Amino acid sequence: MSLYDIRNLEVDIAGKRLVEDVSLTVEAGQCTAIIGASGSGKSLTCLTPFGLTPGTASGSIKLDGVDLRTTDARHLRDIRRRLTGFVFQQPLTALTPHLSVGAQLQEATMQAGAARPSRRELAQKLERVGLARADERLDQFPHRLSGGERQRVMIAAAIAHGPKLLIADEPTSALDASLRAEIMDLLDELRAEQGLGMLLVSHDLASVEHHADQLVVMENGRLVEMGPTREVVTHPAEDYTRRLIAATPRLDEAAPKLSQPGDLLLETVDVGVEFRRPGWRRGTIHAVAEVGLTIGQGESLALVGGSGSGKSTLGRAIAGIGPVTRGEILWEGVSLPERRRRDLDMRRLIQPVFQDPVASLDPQWRVGEIVTEPLRNLRPDLARAERSEMARQALSAVDLAEDFLIRSPASLSGGQAQRVAIARAIIASPRLLVLDEATSALDPLVGAEILQLLRRLQVDNGLSMLVITHDIAAARRLCHRIAVMEEGRIVESGTMQAVIDDPRHPATQKLVAAS
Amino acid sequence: MLRRHFPLALVLLIAALALWLPFLLPWSYDQIDWDAVRAPAFSGSHIFGTDDIGRDRLARLAAGTRITLMVAMAAALVSLVVGIAWGATAGWIGGKVDEVMMRIVDGLYALPFMFIVILLMVVFGRSILLVFVGIGLVEWLTMARVVRGQVIALKQRPFILAAEAAGTPSRTIVLRHILPNIAGVALAYLMLTVPQVVMVESFLSFLGLGVQEPLTSLGILVKEGADDMDMAPLGLLLPGGLLVLILVCLTIEGERLRDRFS
Repeated sequence: MSLYDIRNLEVDIAGKRLVEDVSLTVEAGQCTAIIGASGSGKSLTCLTPFGLTPGTASGSIKLDGVDLRTTDARHLRDIRRRLTGFVFQQPLTALTPHLSVGAQLQEATMQAGAARPSRRELAQKLERVGLARADERLDQFPHRLSGGERQRVMIAAAIAHGPKLLIADEPTSALDASLRAEIMDLLDELRAEQGLGMLLVSHDLASVEHHADQLVVMENGRLVEMGPTREVVTHPAEDYTRRLIAATPRLDEAAPKLSQPGDLLLETVDVGVEFRRPGWRRGTIHAVAEVGLTIGQGESLALVGGSGSGKSTLGRAIAGIGPVTRGEILWEGVSLPERRRRDLDMRRLIQPVFQDPVASLDPQWRVGEIVTEPLRNLRPDLARAERSEMARQALSAVDLAEDFLIRSPASLSGGQAQRVAIARAIIASPRLLVLDEATSALDPLVGAEILQLLRRLQVDNGLSMLVITHDIAAARRLCHRIAVMEEGRIVESGTMQAVIDDPRHPATQKLVAAS
Repeated sequence: MLRRHFPLALVLLIAALALWLPFLLPWSYDQIDWDAVRAPAFSGSHIFGTDDIGRDRLARLAAGTRITLMVAMAAALVSLVVGIAWGATAGWIGGKVDEVMMRIVDGLYALPFMFIVILLMVVFGRSILLVFVGIGLVEWLTMARVVRGQVIALKQRPFILAAEAAGTPSRTIVLRHILPNIAGVALAYLMLTVPQVVMVESFLSFLGLGVQEPLTSLGILVKEGADDMDMAPLGLLLPGGLLVLILVCLTIEGERLRDRFS
């Protein structure tokens, strides 16, 4: 008998059926992973049976032999308390801000009726999840911990009462790439050690495929395919699974065909960005220091690093939308001034694309106005009719139909919004695009399409790109060279393949291992 | 629509009545009916009777409502224009300019408002213009703070950065990107300012610092009614009830708007 057994699960919210006919099992000591795009019903599937969503579940749901659906609310609460533990995506919001780590851990331990744990026992629990100086941490509050540490605390709390089933909803999506592997390894260890069954939800195939025993692929509230992970990944039976696997970037896939880079276009000489510390504290923060990098005509450079490494700050400095306090940015040998002092001809050369496609578009404007905004300023020589003709061309270059011109941003999906943002960036024919995590907020299938679109722009239009990302495997599909940043400095650079094959700096090794 | 926005509809109805009644009534607000001093309600052509010197209560109520709403609208307008301009400028430019501009706001906040108004009245004499100036002087402060916060939050949004990269001049970014996106919040706070101003004006008038006789406002009517409330309770209940009704309705609408945008 399986530890957790769902048969023909259906979930309705407000009369709408959002999950249809899903069956899956979780065995003790094993991990079942559900993957799918956002809106595929994967979170609803794993949270609704425990009453954690507004939906109602029907079907047969057996946990440890008890049917959750036929028991009453009190009994359900009791089962939830004793047998299950939950880990959520946002560790900061999932921990209570006004309680110390120790207090929360104690509450979690006692929820299944255990006796009050001693301080020593609580510290041991924290040590078990890999937190150093555990005794000191018991008195700290969640905001003092880093994202990775918080997630470890949440895991410690989730397993403190010895549950049999651990439900993890995107446990690593909010974390830095290099931390993801560590957290997943930790979950694996705990699973083996305590015989926990784990139900894992993720949108990212790459992050779960080495950890899950069973893989469940969902699309639009339906189960597409399920089976042992290795089998599903190597021999996918369904077309959707095949596309999902093809869309997930891997370091060992065949090298992509890229354009041949030309002459030197952009060079930074000892560029630094310093900020004054906020508030009354004195001193400066060196967000970027002594950075020298080059980008050639038609070349793509990947700028990778963890969060806080200064890669976005550098990208903004180059794009002329952030400050530069030291050094020089040279365009074909001529110095580009910083931010407000750039004239329109300089603005035409470099255009940015951002991570959050929805926030990149003014919600009050129509797509047509958004796309032509650069033209109105940078090409005042064009008449209105010419501008809208170019807007049409730009939309078709990003594979959007003409009728998108009159749509409002709110009516666009994430992928469509990012296409509009790219259309705006390329409409005034710039020569360099600064892509700040342009695909990381998108679902894998959509992200892969955007990567493909960018590669087409690179090959056909000879566009140069600065690709800022934390995902080396995705960057490899687009970039010739790579530069790795840590604490504001470039610690390693070289051609893409050479750095992946032989990473020298610890930061690079971590990032490569995480991909 | 009407059911959802019943409070707003009610205020609009009151305003419309205040504007129309003078044309329908046989009595004007400062006209004395010597034959009917202290007339009870429904006596002859005086629907709500007359006050202690024979002026028609309904006509005076309409006139008072008119003045009160007018002061409220004018102050709201000042708060809207000055507050948005000040807050948007401070938030957009940032740095030292922002520091200085917001310290000025803090300074004005710290002034004892009543004291300033009384001082103005004493120095320049009582006039309705001074009431506008006095109330306008303080009511834009909150708006400026709210707008500044919104602008600072918007400033770092990618679409503003994209506009900068697209070469859009600062002025255009503020006018075309930022202001339309804060309009909703500004409108909500405007709706909350109006009842506040009504309160302040009524309070000033109640103290005898507002508009001058024979012109009247709801505050003055409440005061007159309070002086004479054992003899004619209607004189207090009518303007007082109307004031409460307007305040409650506007506040409900304002809070509803604010909840929608925040």
